[in-house]
Amino acid sequence: MFFTFMLPVLLIAMFGSMFSQSVGTVSLPVQDLDGGPAAHAFLDALNRTGAVSIQLVPATEDFSAYIKDHSLALALQIPAGFSDSVAQSVSNANASLAQVILFGDPSRSTYQMAQGATNGAVEMMNFQLAGARPVLGMQVETLPGTKGHSYMDFFLPGVIGMTVMSVSLYGMTEICSSYRNKGYFKLLATTTIRKYEWLTTKFVVYSAMLIGSLLVTYVIGVLAFGMSVSLTPLTFVFILAGCFLFISMGMLLGTVIKDSETGMAITNAIGFPMMFLAGSFFPIESFPGFLQGVASFMPLTYLNNGLRDTMVYGNTGAALVDLAVVLLAVLILALASSRLMSWKEA
Amino acid sequence: MTTAWRYDDIRAVDDISFTVEAGQVFSLLGHNGAGKTTTVEILEGLRNSTSGSARILGVEVSNGYSKIRQKVGILPQDFEPFENLKPWEAVEYWGALFGLKLTKAQCSELLRSVDLSHRENLLAKHLSGGEKRKLGIALAMVNRPEVLFLDEPTTGLDPKARRDLWNLIGELKRRGTTIFLTTHYLDEAEVLSDHICIMNHGKIVAEGSPKQIIQQFGRSATVTLIGAGQKGLEEMLRQGADATLLNEDVVVCAPDPAQIEGWFSGLSKAGVCVKDMSIRRDTLEDVFLSLIAKGKGVV
Repeated sequence: MFFTFMLPVLLIAMFGSMFSQSVGTVSLPVQDLDGGPAAHAFLDALNRTGAVSIQLVPATEDFSAYIKDHSLALALQIPAGFSDSVAQSVSNANASLAQVILFGDPSRSTYQMAQGATNGAVEMMNFQLAGARPVLGMQVETLPGTKGHSYMDFFLPGVIGMTVMSVSLYGMTEICSSYRNKGYFKLLATTTIRKYEWLTTKFVVYSAMLIGSLLVTYVIGVLAFGMSVSLTPLTFVFILAGCFLFISMGMLLGTVIKDSETGMAITNAIGFPMMFLAGSFFPIESFPGFLQGVASFMPLTYLNNGLRDTMVYGNTGAALVDLAVVLLAVLILALASSRLMSWKEA
Repeated sequence: MTTAWRYDDIRAVDDISFTVEAGQVFSLLGHNGAGKTTTVEILEGLRNSTSGSARILGVEVSNGYSKIRQKVGILPQDFEPFENLKPWEAVEYWGALFGLKLTKAQCSELLRSVDLSHRENLLAKHLSGGEKRKLGIALAMVNRPEVLFLDEPTTGLDPKARRDLWNLIGELKRRGTTIFLTTHYLDEAEVLSDHICIMNHGKIVAEGSPKQIIQQFGRSATVTLIGAGQKGLEEMLRQGADATLLNEDVVVCAPDPAQIEGWFSGLSKAGVCVKDMSIRRDTLEDVFLSLIAKGKGVV
């Protein structure tokens, strides 16, 4: 029933919302190190494109550090002396072009919009100042501290997060349902093994499987597709935390829902939307606002974000924030499932 | 054990009390829904009683079961083996769950004791229903328990396998194992048990050794006078016996077997020729059915 009716409805609702609506404006942090009239005119032109929403970054900030700390996928810098360069370029056709610098991750769907808007503002100013003769241009840079990313770099942590979710959640829900239906829990209750020991063995087995899967995926990604992602210690912490999180969620679902078929249908109804909405395959910022709101309540969102922060952007601070959210979800779900699950009454 | 268990407004087990002596084979009998499994699950620590107490090996089950878990073996009524394990692997795994490290030879020996050696390398999902029960019994014995709960152990077994299991239970009893048996087979209970409790609607309606129960609750002996005919019937009715004619035989209910000798004397004087005679006493099954049908009072 789930795959016949609910899944297609869910998919059409999700992808319909994602692709049939205008994304709106792209948030673009801008640092103006010049502060002169040409810089103001450029920002005004940029604003008038309607494609970006400018967020000014104080000139006192170390821009590279700011981009890294905030895990920015896009940022624009107007260098010091920009207005002087524009003035020289207007008066002297042989002078070098004044440049604005766009930092970005081309793997993100928002990059193209920001690049187009910046280019539009540049052309608008060229037209106004020198009758379309180029007086200023756009310099494109990769994000500081990165070698420039492809979509595959963005994709790999999402695949890993999705694998952690699907293996642990579906596996544990199925185990809990079948163990209860076949009376295995009652059997186990008659032995000397404790519930926490059993759960620990499941956690160890799933963790080992997922780390193995991570290593295989990583090696294939790097060797076959030249991905430039890093396997940091935090990556493994995320795998373990995510595994425990979704094992607890599966245990909770398998415990609360007594009928195994209903249990799997509800697990699908939770797992599939989470797989797509939590940013495993597409950037969350490309979703309409209400779907972004839904994604913010999904634990996989924080697992995916954390994995990208540590593997792709090297932003440990942001990754630790995501890890804290994942661990909070682990705590809540583990407590709920361990309190509700009884081998005796299973 | 003195206990009760209720759900909603139904008392599944209603203030029952009994004691099982060490080394006994104790059978709990009753029709479906009589409260047997609820009682057994309370004793196995799988269910908490609403009131009262249940003690095994001197330990209160509700809060101290972990202390005796190592000494108890259990075959649940609805036992299903882990289907992707071979029997010897299941025994090894089950041993590990009790902290035992069994060798392959020890696993094989245990399987041999339940006549499952020939299937020890077959995945459990391919075993027949009876073989699965045998595997369950092997698992229940893996920790060499002092107390063994067997909840309907012979359900699904063929006659030979049943007899083999009876022998195994006898062997375990000889080793000093206390066996708590629930079964629907009254002949099994009669043959194996030292002590029996019969439950009906959550209460114990009869308790004692099989012989005691038959004597206490059995109706009478049924005497068939073969070939006694109409004349024999008339003579028995004249003597005040409860008699009926069945073809040429007279079937007489004898509340007191001592009456039979007097009947024969009367039949002889009346010139009734009796070709042969058979006496059938009530079995445990007759008593059980009678108790359940009449809904006898609590013992």
